[in-house]
Amino acid sequence: MFDLLEPVVFAVLALGVIGSGVCVVILRRITAQALLMALTFASMAGMFLLLGAETIALFQVLIYVGAITILILFGVMFTKQDERGYGLFFQQQTPWAAALVIVIALPVTFLAFSFKDPITPSAKGGDLIPLAASLFTDYAFPFEVASVLLLAALVGAIVLVKRDEG
Amino acid sequence: MPIGPFGIDPVIWAILRLVIALALAIFVLLNGALAQTLLERKVQAWMQDRLGPYHVGPYGLLQSVADALKLLTKEDIRAKLTDLPFFLAAPAIVFTPILASFVVLPFSSDVMGANLNVGLLYLTTLGSMTVLGIVIAGWASNNKYSLMGGLRSAGQLISYEVPQILALVTVVLYVGSLSMVDITNSQPGPLVNAVFLPFAFVTYFIAALAETNRNPFDLPEAESELVAGFLTEYSGMRWAIFFLSEYGAITVVCAIMTTLWFGGWHGPGVDALPILGVLWFTLKTYGFVLLFMWIRATLPRLRIDQLMGFCWKVLIPLALVNIMASAALILAFADPRLPLAIVNWLLVAGLVVGLPFTQRRRLLRFRSRTRETVALRDVRLAP
Repeated sequence: MFDLLEPVVFAVLALGVIGSGVCVVILRRITAQALLMALTFASMAGMFLLLGAETIALFQVLIYVGAITILILFGVMFTKQDERGYGLFFQQQTPWAAALVIVIALPVTFLAFSFKDPITPSAKGGDLIPLAASLFTDYAFPFEVASVLLLAALVGAIVLVKRDEG
Repeated sequence: MPIGPFGIDPVIWAILRLVIALALAIFVLLNGALAQTLLERKVQAWMQDRLGPYHVGPYGLLQSVADALKLLTKEDIRAKLTDLPFFLAAPAIVFTPILASFVVLPFSSDVMGANLNVGLLYLTTLGSMTVLGIVIAGWASNNKYSLMGGLRSAGQLISYEVPQILALVTVVLYVGSLSMVDITNSQPGPLVNAVFLPFAFVTYFIAALAETNRNPFDLPEAESELVAGFLTEYSGMRWAIFFLSEYGAITVVCAIMTTLWFGGWHGPGVDALPILGVLWFTLKTYGFVLLFMWIRATLPRLRIDQLMGFCWKVLIPLALVNIMASAALILAFADPRLPLAIVNWLLVAGLVVGLPFTQRRRLLRFRSRTRETVALRDVRLAP
């Protein structure tokens, strides 16, 4: 029934992810960049929905759109809003970056086209219990490593911005 | 060719269903907002020994219709230096998640948009998205008061999201499901979750007041300090959309409280006549809406440091204690209801009794510090 609909939705979402991602890099207005980044995250959440992973999609929106983008905007409001009147001066790595992108993009494209039969997931993505079980058993170590890393970043941020008590 | 419901092609039916659902959600939202504006003014008037609106229609019942017409026909005013695309987008960003929230509200056992098995998570997610619109509105207005309102709301809403979600966690632990329908069905009798988990309810209620920018937490639009906060530059229909979203958000959080703690659509006579559930659900929800209005008419506004201090130093630690205790009790007892109720009521008593105590100590400390500062200044100023 949705044979036709799915590619169309996918195309719209892909356009949202890639288009707004490119705009984030190209545009020079910092608020527009922040909002377009939120759009990228939201489109990614749509991709997850399309794959049947509702929980991941909701967490994606909750954390990235609902919290991180707002923190970025919060920071943006305290910065000066002038347009940058000069080009990039010290950053001349564009050819290197382009070469790197090609090096990474080629195998990724190759891999993407080598998939033939999609593996249907055993558990439905909306089900929270298998997700939680695998997170706290099979992936407990990466989970802990990630949380320690976040904690370190948090402490580092506090140390960096802390004023000396005078 | 497969035939869908009513003999309509399934693809067309899917689109048609979307249109019907959207129209119904907008209908419910608009009428809820109309009813609530009138209720708000009438209830506050009664509490302050006034009459409230009484010119339009019998007892002023048509006042909100007149207001809506006025707002629709108002001139669209924009300040010259607003950041136009964002200024136009902000009301939509605020309104859309609220509208989408109505999908999972279980009005009755068979009247609901969708029975998502992560329904509660869906509601929290959408609730967190409105902040984005408010912050953008404050920034795009290019006005210092608006910016202050936007910044305040960013701080306030992000902070109070934490106790709000922590309060939901306790109920989810107890029921064992995130689906709104499962949570409703877990409390069919008069022993609703509020009896066993009152502390989670109190936490959620306070956090919900803050999340919907209601008194005593209406700092983002504090009219005596910030003109109207992030709403200052908005007028006409765009302003109305912000207000629609505010009343929509109130309806949604009240519906969440009804579902999670007060048995949702369950009530006398529902088993015989399921459609009666809509009535019970609406009545319970509007009970909480009235409670919100009562609080608005009663309490003064908090200061921003009190607001943040209360969230981070009181609500979040207590909510975490509550989660730990509840999880332990649910694991330890086969029927955890009585121990849960004891711990929760103790926590509520602790909050109610302890809060004035600690506040008084803070106030005394603050006063003595002020006195010291003044004394120091006097010494310095002395000839």
